[in-house]
Amino acid sequence: MSFEPKILGFLCNWCSYAGADLAGVSRMQYPPNIRVIRVMCSGRIDPKFIVEALRVGADGVIVLGCHLGDCHYLEGNYEAEKKFDMVKKFLKLIDFDNRVRLDWVSASEGARYASMITEFTDHIKTLGPSPAGGDNPDDEILEELKAIEEAAGSDRMRALVGRERKITEQENVYGETVSLDKFNEIFDLAIKDEYNRHRILGLLEKESKSVKDLAKELKIDSSIVLEHMITLKSRGQVDFGELLGITPTFHKL
Amino acid sequence: MEKNSKSALIIGAGIAGIQAALDLGDMGIKVHLIEKNPVIGGKMAQLDKTFPTLDCSICILAPKLSECYRHENITLYTLSEVNYVEGTSGNFTVDILKRARYVKEDVCTNCGDCATICPVRGVPNYFDANLKNMAAVYIPFPAAVPPVYIIDKNTCVYLNYGICGLCANICGAEAIDFSQKDEILKIDNVGCIIVAPGYGLLEDVSPLTNYGYGKYKNVVTALEFERLICASGPLEGHLKRLSDGKDPKKLAFLQCIGSRSDRDKKYCSSICCMYSTKAAIIAYEHNNDLESYVFYIDMRAGGKGFQTFLRRGVDEYNIKYIKSKISHIDVDEDDTPVITYEDYDTSEIKQMKVDLAVLATCIIPSQGIEKLADVLGIELNNYNFVKTNPFLPVETSVEGIFTCGCAREPMDIPRSVAEASGAAARAAEVIKGG
Amino acid sequence: MSEKESEDVRIGVFVCSCGTNIGGLINVKEVAEYAKSLPNVVFTEDNLYTCSETGLTQIKNGIREHNLNRVVVASCTPRTHEPLFRDCVKDEGLNEYLFQFVNIRDQCTWVHMKHPKEAFEKAKEVIRMGVAKAAKLEALENIVVDATPTAIVIGGGVTGMTAALSLANQGFETHLVERDDKLGGQLNIINKLFPTGQDASELLGSLKKRVESNPNLTVYTSASVKNIEGFVGNFEIEVEQKGKSIDLTIGVIVVAVGASLLTPTGKFGYDGNIRITQYELEKKLKNNEVKAKDIVMIQCVGARNDERKYCSNVCCMTALKNALLIKEKNPQANITILFRDLYTPGTHYEEYYRRAREAGILFLSYKLEKEPIVEENNVKVFNEYIGEEMSIPYDLLVLSTPLIANSDNKELAQMLKVPLEENKFFLEAHVKLRPMDFATDGIFICGAAKWPVDLTESITQGYAAAGRASTIISHDTIEVEGATSFLPEYNKNLCTGCEICITVCPYKAISKNENDEIEITQVLCKGCGVCGATCTSHAIIIRHFTDEQILSEIYAFGGI
Repeated sequence: MSFEPKILGFLCNWCSYAGADLAGVSRMQYPPNIRVIRVMCSGRIDPKFIVEALRVGADGVIVLGCHLGDCHYLEGNYEAEKKFDMVKKFLKLIDFDNRVRLDWVSASEGARYASMITEFTDHIKTLGPSPAGGDNPDDEILEELKAIEEAAGSDRMRALVGRERKITEQENVYGETVSLDKFNEIFDLAIKDEYNRHRILGLLEKESKSVKDLAKELKIDSSIVLEHMITLKSRGQVDFGELLGITPTFHKL
Repeated sequence: MEKNSKSALIIGAGIAGIQAALDLGDMGIKVHLIEKNPVIGGKMAQLDKTFPTLDCSICILAPKLSECYRHENITLYTLSEVNYVEGTSGNFTVDILKRARYVKEDVCTNCGDCATICPVRGVPNYFDANLKNMAAVYIPFPAAVPPVYIIDKNTCVYLNYGICGLCANICGAEAIDFSQKDEILKIDNVGCIIVAPGYGLLEDVSPLTNYGYGKYKNVVTALEFERLICASGPLEGHLKRLSDGKDPKKLAFLQCIGSRSDRDKKYCSSICCMYSTKAAIIAYEHNNDLESYVFYIDMRAGGKGFQTFLRRGVDEYNIKYIKSKISHIDVDEDDTPVITYEDYDTSEIKQMKVDLAVLATCIIPSQGIEKLADVLGIELNNYNFVKTNPFLPVETSVEGIFTCGCAREPMDIPRSVAEASGAAARAAEVIKGG
Repeated sequence: MSEKESEDVRIGVFVCSCGTNIGGLINVKEVAEYAKSLPNVVFTEDNLYTCSETGLTQIKNGIREHNLNRVVVASCTPRTHEPLFRDCVKDEGLNEYLFQFVNIRDQCTWVHMKHPKEAFEKAKEVIRMGVAKAAKLEALENIVVDATPTAIVIGGGVTGMTAALSLANQGFETHLVERDDKLGGQLNIINKLFPTGQDASELLGSLKKRVESNPNLTVYTSASVKNIEGFVGNFEIEVEQKGKSIDLTIGVIVVAVGASLLTPTGKFGYDGNIRITQYELEKKLKNNEVKAKDIVMIQCVGARNDERKYCSNVCCMTALKNALLIKEKNPQANITILFRDLYTPGTHYEEYYRRAREAGILFLSYKLEKEPIVEENNVKVFNEYIGEEMSIPYDLLVLSTPLIANSDNKELAQMLKVPLEENKFFLEAHVKLRPMDFATDGIFICGAAKWPVDLTESITQGYAAAGRASTIISHDTIEVEGATSFLPEYNKNLCTGCEICITVCPYKAISKNENDEIEITQVLCKGCGVCGATCTSHAIIIRHFTDEQILSEIYAFGGI
């Protein structure tokens, strides 16, 4: 049997959902793989919704809003774009980014919706089943997705993404405007750090581990793990556990 | 909610009439909204996008359409026109002629089964500028309000020959009703009337032969172009030459077709410079190999953001503006339009070949305005638009009858919307004050 | 909350066949049967047309007979039919927000016509998702706040006076605040009006008389707005008049502060004497001081260039008007208008342009790249049509300069928390369809404060803003949908006070109160949900689209 992907779509009420309805009214055919969740605005799409969908086995997730500038709520789709970009950057770390997509469909673009869904379905088909889906999902991938969901939900990432437009387009609290390049540099670093920190937290959930063990499991340098441990300790998220010989272990708080 | 015993009656459910109705309805005043077409939305519903924001027209309009349809204070009369009016400001009585739809409005589920089975084909759809055909039972466009089919009296086999009735058979909701008759509805206690019938276009009354319109397939009007380029239009937004289906590479937008002219109408249609620029921008967005030429006399771009829009057209969308006067259009052996014009920058007579020529035709008073004016007793001006005083812009010559939008002068959407809210305010003064 | 909703979740699912539109492709009976197996579902039924009177009655009977407290309809699309079904459940005493729509026609049977089996499976799955959400739905009440039926109009020019008068005539207590010591704004300077030729003072006089004699209208001259607090229906405004402070409670605000005139210092030899602006010419014409014989007017002085991109709308007509006035008095006068594009849109303005040409006024076009050069006694201009430079003598040079935004617009904008556009004119909620509204409810904009406009449009916009404002204060209360964003008491401790929600809210519905706590003004919220998706501590809840509700759909999608 050929692979039939499970695809979840988040559609805004005013443009993309209307466009999807128009495809129906015009009887434009597209593959029956997509299931749709309607929200009022694409800006409502919390990053965790996208990751959660992947965690429960979606092979692909598509977020659709009004064209930029057309948002029924003025600028919600710009906010959606920022949040989506963050999720995508996280997913890139585990090579999952091509399973999610953000695009725009207006209420008059039934044909565009139909062809977009057809194309996205085909694209997911060529990628094959998600390792996080099916009857025997890959545990490690699930752990990674969990870390991403938590990292994306962390107050640090949410604050960064929430302030991005204000910081880069207007000014920060000191009256400075940060260039987009500079912001992206900080942002990309934060993505990597927070992902690893939440991976560490995930691994420590079951049992206490040493820095060395963590470094081995995560395939990153132990000095970097140590830095993360210091940060996590200062945030009150981990603490020292028992000593394994002379090696201290950490456990999650 | 405050109760007002007097209602307002609005003639025309284009964007102006709709805005006036919503404003009055939201003030707690009962509104009778009269529309002669089977659906509301007027010309704006037919547009692809709007300038200078490039908003998708139906996206921003549709919420207003359904709001109008559902509003507790607004009663919608489609396929209707005002037949007779008596009384004075604060107390008019109005007769409405409501034409038969042959489909029960409150029963039809808008499923379209009737149109699928209807044996009649090839009825041109006015909404798609007659570029797309439909069955004798149809709905002008998918997002239409009210979402109810209508039977075309002229082509329906049953209504003309008494046989067929396939639609009635297939309709599970039993919405088809061939026994419907045109009827007269009497509305009294009308405090104010707002006249908002919108506008017509020169091609409705003039053959435009000078420009080869109707004769050459690749010469289209601006409204036809809107439908051609609209994603939900007859070509699903894939612009083609109508003669051979080829992708056009070079477009011409010809301004002042029948406007500012001694031959036709002397006045300026106000909106063409901008919508032509918009059309050229959308065309370019569909196909980046495209170049557009706008032939104009004076570039009239006074509204908010308009000048910036023109600059973007030149800088980003490969639009060239030629200050000129069009002489005429011919075609070569490939049906390719050849435009002859006087270039005002060089005072030379020149020719240009383009794949598709788009005529910005003159805005004219809406059809039937004389009869309507007669019924209402209001004066028209020398161009047959509703006569107003420049400093009482929404007042007609009759007290208690107001006007807004293109009924009185060609104007763009924001101005029509503003005038509609203005007319609503004036109507509210009369209804609440009296 | 009615009793029905406080009990266990009891869901009824109604599957519409829509004639053959759904039922022709998939077996709706089997779909309804499947729905019965879903958690919390106690009753299911299939209908030929759920939206028909019969169908609606079946829903009502279902609610009554099976004590349903959630209703799911699987049929066409919520965009057209949700209001109908909401009303239906409401009629039967169920809160309208306990209704959930599932789209199995427009986004299922109609688009998968060649895949009946897959469409059948899809219909079942989307119903499963809808049922999961329905189980989490909460009853909501519309949000109602009191509104004060009063208005303030800021700016006493013709636009503001028109707006104030209309509101007062509609019966609202209206306050008109003018910074100057007299009403009238620019109309005080203008001589005659185009296109009628009537005296400006005549129109102004009659308008003033009506304003000043209206019992509902209070005029404050030499006054300005000092502070604005509150929100739609409930603004607290401090007006200062000659050092005295007046506090007003106001329902709606209309901004009509007008625009300023550009003085073209250093341009085209401007000297205010024989090289003057159109407005200085107005004064001279009023006082009958124009004796010049050779008059040259230059259009677009300081407009439609790189520094100021826009067209000021009114200058071409002003130039034509003044040229015609001079010509009337002195038919021998030579008048030349140097223009780029003559802006006389519409019927009567174009007619006016014709009249000017027929009167013998000479029009010469120039291009931005080759601006006219003003010399001591003549203007040199390159005319493209003739292809050569011309030298035109003058003894009066008139420069048509644009209207520009008032220099203090920014202060007022900050007080109102509304935006300005790049030229510092006020920016409306939507250029196309909401020309008189700000994005923030209860504040309206009209006249040249928004964009240069002529007198006709100023008057129209004055009325229009009054019309829009009236939609709010015509009612004692303001009612909005219950599906808003909300910071519940139990989440307040989560809030870190980062204020990001304040910056992302497009409607200025979120603010910090005097206790430094985040407060969401329910009546301003439109329910887009951006704040909830942004909140760094997940403290904000988006009613009717809560995290829990959306996640329940996601889990149901995943088969969990």
